[in-house]
Amino acid sequence: MLSVKDVTTFIQGKKIIHDISLDIKPGEIVGLIGPNGTGKTTFMKTVLGLTKFTGSISIDKQRITENNHQALKKVGALIEHPAIYPFLTGRQNLLLYSESNKDLEEIISTLKMENFIDKKSKNYSLGMKQKLGIGIALLNNPELVILDEPMNGLDIESTIMIRDVIRKYANQGCMFLISSHILGELQKVMTQVVLLRSGKVILNRSMDLLNQDSSKKYYVQVDKKNLIENLLSRNNIDYQWVDNCLEIDSQDVKLMQDLIFQNGFYLNRLEPEKLNLEEKVIRILSDKEGSNNEE
Amino acid sequence: MVSSLNKEAYKLVHQKITWFAPLFVLILMIIMGILMNGSEQKLLIMTSYDSSEWILFALVVVSSTIFTLEFQDNTILTMLYKSDNKLQVYGSKLILVFIYNIVLHILAIIFTIVLQLTPLNVHLSWLMINQYQQTLLSNLLMTILVDIVSSTLIISIIFFTSCIVNLNAIVITLNLMIVFLGQSASSSLMIANLKYIDIIKWNPLNMINLTKQYYNYGSYHIVSHLSNSQLLIGNIFYSLLFFSLGYVIFKKKKF
Repeated sequence: MLSVKDVTTFIQGKKIIHDISLDIKPGEIVGLIGPNGTGKTTFMKTVLGLTKFTGSISIDKQRITENNHQALKKVGALIEHPAIYPFLTGRQNLLLYSESNKDLEEIISTLKMENFIDKKSKNYSLGMKQKLGIGIALLNNPELVILDEPMNGLDIESTIMIRDVIRKYANQGCMFLISSHILGELQKVMTQVVLLRSGKVILNRSMDLLNQDSSKKYYVQVDKKNLIENLLSRNNIDYQWVDNCLEIDSQDVKLMQDLIFQNGFYLNRLEPEKLNLEEKVIRILSDKEGSNNEE
Repeated sequence: MVSSLNKEAYKLVHQKITWFAPLFVLILMIIMGILMNGSEQKLLIMTSYDSSEWILFALVVVSSTIFTLEFQDNTILTMLYKSDNKLQVYGSKLILVFIYNIVLHILAIIFTIVLQLTPLNVHLSWLMINQYQQTLLSNLLMTILVDIVSSTLIISIIFFTSCIVNLNAIVITLNLMIVFLGQSASSSLMIANLKYIDIIKWNPLNMINLTKQYYNYGSYHIVSHLSNSQLLIGNIFYSLLFFSLGYVIFKKKKF
């Protein structure tokens, strides 16, 4: 398990990361999101022991410090750009870090790199470099993989493939910490979301909880529309019809459910509004701003 | 440490410059042999066909590349987190360049012996007594040994500058200037400040005179104002100083 406790990072005297605490358990895929310049990459570098920090970071209770990377033996990472030596072929780049030939061949085949792996990497396209960078991060059966914008430069086919590879490794117990500005892509794989702003965690929630929390409206399908309309109006519940469904504020859902059941009516369908991750993040950010302004 | 050294060695042997450098040294040694044919034959052998200049040139290019390209290609981040600490990364590069330096010097000895067998040169006995009451062979080996110390100072300056400036071209240019203009700069500085010569003569650029002074004491002692042993101590001191300063900068560097 990766355990980050009260971590604060200073770079050139400036506080970049503020008291971040975070746990990642085996099999979890944590998405690190937030506006540009909010400290996502710095946080990832901090976990990799590349910056000075206060607080504690440990993997399976083994501490990571700037001068002790023993706990990082089973960690793979792709930070900023793929770390590739242009004078080496893709295979040689992998060989440089690989502990077993079998693992190396498996990575090449999993990431479908057979066609270009023996060519000099200085001639690779951005997508090829990205795949190779991810391949290096996945070498040697890592326990934790840190990927900074892994989908950069990838075509749709490769993006889907990388998503499947991430899920496959997570199912085998590998932990992932991934940042991406393509939130829709991240939404498809992550199990937990951490929202950073100005170096602070303003949201750390499982995807299931996030779906519930960010939904302000619920959609209800009912029979006997007129009777129910009447019932809601009498009890001062605001509603409107959208595509043959009642749109109700989430705060009124409980009351509405009670009223409907007490009066012997039935609900055919009740579901929260479906927002994509971007919409959820925007809503949470604006809510936070709203509450800060009120304070 | 072994793992970091293996990685560094793997990268070094896969770079073309690593293999071109000895070839480049050999070609320049042959050219020097042709140009100096018949004259100063003993000096030519003692200095292994003036290989020290060419070895330094090759070392500047290879050493600068080994460090600065890591920054330019962003590979330094992977090297750092895959290693136990920063000292391991810095130390493995240092050891590897030092080994490469020794290999280049050994090759220079081999090339000298081979060139001596060609019709290009007047054949001299290796056992004839030459400078410092030593045989020609001893002179050659001692010059090579002295040059290893002297080139280690240049490596330390390269490491130091590479940690300050991350651009390969700038580091190479800067260090080539130090190698080829450093001695003149030091000498001009001393001439311009004769009053303070006892202090200025200990400047690091003056230490680069070591190899040349060893095989041409008369001409160079009046330039350096230091004895061979003083230059040797100075070289060792400044090498340690620049390696240490380079490490401090590397350790404090923001990645």
